[in-house]
Amino acid sequence: MAEFAGYLPGLSADEVDWQVLNFDRGNEHVEIAVPVLSETQLGELAARVKQASRAHLKSLTVSQITDIIDKAIARLLDRNDPYRQKAERLLPLITGYDAEMVRLGLTHYLKTFRRAELQKFLAEDFTNPGILDDFQPVPKGGFAKASGPDLLVHIWAGNVPGLPLWSLISGLLVKAGTIGKVPSAEPLFAGWFAELLVEIEPKLADCLAVVWWKGGDEARESALLKQADVVLAYGGNDSLAAIRARTPITTRCLTYGHKVSFGMVSRAALDTGKAWSVAHQAAYDVIRYDQQGCYSPHVFFVERGGKVSPREFSKYVANELACFEQKFPRRALPIEEAGGVAAWRHAEETKSSSQGGRDIMGDAASAWGVVYVEEAEDLAPSGLNRTIKIVAIDDLADTAPRIAPFKAFLQTVGIAAAPEELFRLAASLSDVGVTRICALGHMTAPEAGWHHDGRFNLLDLVTLTEIERSAENAADDFAPYVD
Amino acid sequence: MTEAQIIDHLLAFIAADGASDEDFNRMALELFAYQFENNQPYRRFCQQREKTVRTVKSWRDIPAVPIDAFKDLTLSCCAPEDAERFFMTSGTTKDGVRGKSYHPTLAVWDASMTTNFRRRFMRNRERIRMGILFPTEEIMPNSSLAHYLAVAVREFGTEDSHYLVHEDGLDTMRAVLELAHAEQTGEPYALLGASYSFVHLMDALKENDEIGFLPAGSKIMDTGGFKGQSREVAPDDFYKQLSSTFGVPRSQCINMYGMTELSSQFYDAGNETCPSVKSVPHWIRTRVVNPLTNEELPRGEKGVLAHCDLAHFNVVSTILTEDAGIATEDGFLLLGRADGAEAQGCSMAVEEFLKAAKG
Repeated sequence: MAEFAGYLPGLSADEVDWQVLNFDRGNEHVEIAVPVLSETQLGELAARVKQASRAHLKSLTVSQITDIIDKAIARLLDRNDPYRQKAERLLPLITGYDAEMVRLGLTHYLKTFRRAELQKFLAEDFTNPGILDDFQPVPKGGFAKASGPDLLVHIWAGNVPGLPLWSLISGLLVKAGTIGKVPSAEPLFAGWFAELLVEIEPKLADCLAVVWWKGGDEARESALLKQADVVLAYGGNDSLAAIRARTPITTRCLTYGHKVSFGMVSRAALDTGKAWSVAHQAAYDVIRYDQQGCYSPHVFFVERGGKVSPREFSKYVANELACFEQKFPRRALPIEEAGGVAAWRHAEETKSSSQGGRDIMGDAASAWGVVYVEEAEDLAPSGLNRTIKIVAIDDLADTAPRIAPFKAFLQTVGIAAAPEELFRLAASLSDVGVTRICALGHMTAPEAGWHHDGRFNLLDLVTLTEIERSAENAADDFAPYVD
Repeated sequence: MTEAQIIDHLLAFIAADGASDEDFNRMALELFAYQFENNQPYRRFCQQREKTVRTVKSWRDIPAVPIDAFKDLTLSCCAPEDAERFFMTSGTTKDGVRGKSYHPTLAVWDASMTTNFRRRFMRNRERIRMGILFPTEEIMPNSSLAHYLAVAVREFGTEDSHYLVHEDGLDTMRAVLELAHAEQTGEPYALLGASYSFVHLMDALKENDEIGFLPAGSKIMDTGGFKGQSREVAPDDFYKQLSSTFGVPRSQCINMYGMTELSSQFYDAGNETCPSVKSVPHWIRTRVVNPLTNEELPRGEKGVLAHCDLAHFNVVSTILTEDAGIATEDGFLLLGRADGAEAQGCSMAVEEFLKAAKG
């Protein structure tokens, strides 16, 4: 039987056209029916959500909304809950990721949305989160209130399970009516979350919707975009450019493009006692979701001069990747992605035979690949799917010029270094456009309240209404009690 | 084995009616030995994979060179400066570096082209009036497609054949005259050229409603896809439009699949349905492989195409493409690119990075 994706308030299943997406993993076959709404239906849905967000969502306090989200997250963290069970069963089949990796990843990820974490999230962007509920005094004088959009349209992309939750929850926290478009690669999770929220708080029923269309469907995309107050879009630069072009100029369009991340290992981390665990953490960042995330590393720059040489370190990483393959095997690659890995490998082999100075570890048949490069090279994406380059460098301070040309595409840097060094490197990394620095082993798990691509997740969504002090003062003159 | 001997053997091989598996194997191994001996970068490539003349026992064992390597390696048995001609890949490669294929003589290339073209495109005709939707060989001396079309016109076109694309683009006026002439005289006409030029031509003709259908016996041959040079059209729509614009049945709309890194081409028997089956002439063997392990996949499974083209004697006979395909009983289905164009997630893939970095 097919699983139905999406969440469509006001529309019954037989009023909607459904398209079946097929997913095959080994012997298992799953059919997911995704809704294909007409342009008129999308327009009506937008009107319904706007109306409901004004009537219901905006009447809840931030604290009430936080409670509702917390309850939904608690359900998803409970392994006996039917939604959790469905997620554990279906997400590996759809995305191809190892079931155990998905299970652990989900728990770790969902934990970052519990009540306490949501409060951190709010505190990151608002000194006084009460500003989302009512006018609050502000330091410059006067009062201000922050309002979320009546309709926030999300265009999600990619197959990393549950990823839409970031922006979906951000929208809810600022009381935005929400319509999200799920990607074909993972069309389920956002819809489940919407159903769960409504189960917990029926008032939310019409405040959000989850839809689908085939990526790039101009007519449907435009139909929804022109109704939006704010648009949040994820994807490659070409699709983002198209989305931005279809968004009215008066609508805020926030885009999150594909990014490149990398790691740095200082000689301080390369003594014989510590190097193994550093390599383990580095390899963990590589295997998580097979490097499909914007925070996934493509290169590790490793400093010379430690007890363990960069070349030895690369062997450690290769060894760790081989071990992880036993525990969390790489998903079976569609031929296009296998071609990407092969092309990367072939290019490295060709360079190896024409220039020398590099080791290629992992044979062609293994589900990972490490290339060690003796002579420093510029940052470049790997072949993805557990392929990583380790570049030896005399001094980590020399890394900045090697990444500077790619400023627009940089995101996370995983670092293993001593405190003083960490801050010194951080200063030069921030100069060249890096927005997130974390420990190795944490690259793929940003902490609660992080600023995605250096932006304000919540502040970027709201509009402030300010009551200037002059209005306040002038009002006094007109008070009934004025002398 | 000298170059002259190899050329003689190959010309005879191509001229024959067919080749048994043993014949093919013998010729492929002879050629491999020649390339291993005379093409130093290829020899190193083979040795890296622990393949030598001793260990390679069948054409299937011959190491396939990924087409990407053509950009970095000078793969030639003769000294490159002694080549009569070299062909370059079109400028759409990842980092702007273009691969080259050197040809000490075009005799084998031309023999392969004419033998296959006669069988697969001309069928029972000697000559046909042609309209070419691609620039001439003089304008593009390093384009294998320009050479291909020049040979087509020279060997199979009538004297009235014309080029319908010039340095400054499509010559719509000439195209309209040619189509009208064919309609008036009833003389079968052949349009050949780049797929994207057909799109340009069809767009240009939309504004001209006087165009009638081409007479019976007319044919169309397109090649190369759209490559960002025109709007992208799904194959099925493309052939539907071709057929309705020119009145040529889809069974007479033939797609040619060729590449600079080979000396031969593949044809289908029309495009009534897409994707169509491409047939393999007797001097080529095509395998569908897993690109990572190079292992051959069972028939019906999707993989990457690896061709062993004996006509490509001066470079390397066996290449690994970035084209996806499925093996069928009498050839293969061509299914588009398999170069990992975009990541599944929000990570950046090589192609996109290079494109973005170039701005």
